[in-house]
Amino acid sequence: MLTLITFLTSCSSVKKLSIFKEEVAREKLNLNTPTPLELENLRWIIITSENADEVFKKLEEQGIDPVLWGLTDKDFELLAKNFARIRNQLVVTNKLLDKYKEYYEPKEKKDE
Amino acid sequence: MGIRLFFIGIILSALLGAGAYVMKLQKDNAILKGNAIKMESAIADQKNLIESQKKDFQEILDANNKMNELVNVLKKDLEDLDKRFNKKNRDVGKLAIAKTKSIERITNGASALATRCIEIASGSPLTEEEKNATKKSEINSECPSIANPNYVPY
Repeated sequence: MLTLITFLTSCSSVKKLSIFKEEVAREKLNLNTPTPLELENLRWIIITSENADEVFKKLEEQGIDPVLWGLTDKDFELLAKNFARIRNQLVVTNKLLDKYKEYYEPKEKKDE
Repeated sequence: MGIRLFFIGIILSALLGAGAYVMKLQKDNAILKGNAIKMESAIADQKNLIESQKKDFQEILDANNKMNELVNVLKKDLEDLDKRFNKKNRDVGKLAIAKTKSIERITNGASALATRCIEIASGSPLTEEEKNATKKSEINSECPSIANPNYVPY
């Protein structure tokens, strides 16, 4: 009996458990870049007290409703500057996105 | 006879003890060797990590510098626009009254250029003309910093 127990226990072996970690790179977001804008050009008409009648007459001749949305010279300046600020913000935001993409998703070297 | 057996027992015990001790030393030695290898590997990993962090810091610094440069360049475009309206106490309103047609033409021209600037800012690719513009007469005066990469102000 003793021999049998010794024999059986000696043969039994416990395998070492091996745990390993493998880092899996996160999938790239790869969102499509938005289509660039294609804007329509505006036509500005300058009206003064002197040419107002002529301007409205021309509009009527061209079949355009004789009505205009007006801005003073100061407001026109503000509008121009507001657009420039929006444009700059757009440039900065896009550049920021590019930089983030470059940093977190660098292009893999082709020669590797 | 009893004493002889006793001494033999002691000697055998001593030999077994010494053998066990040597085996323990060998085992310890193997563990220490393993530890040394692991330490070397850990040091190499740490060095790699430090190098990688240095590279990251440099990239962050470069990106910040580039962004600051861009913001300054865009700020200059805005200042130039302000100058066009107010240079030497210029009054655009009075000019428009005096030279209505020419100011209207200039306004429409500038408006078209500003519209193109928005398109470029939204990601529209530059045309060959825009890329190759180097003279004041060739550039988009509303936003040369983004529309004409080869233009150097003079």
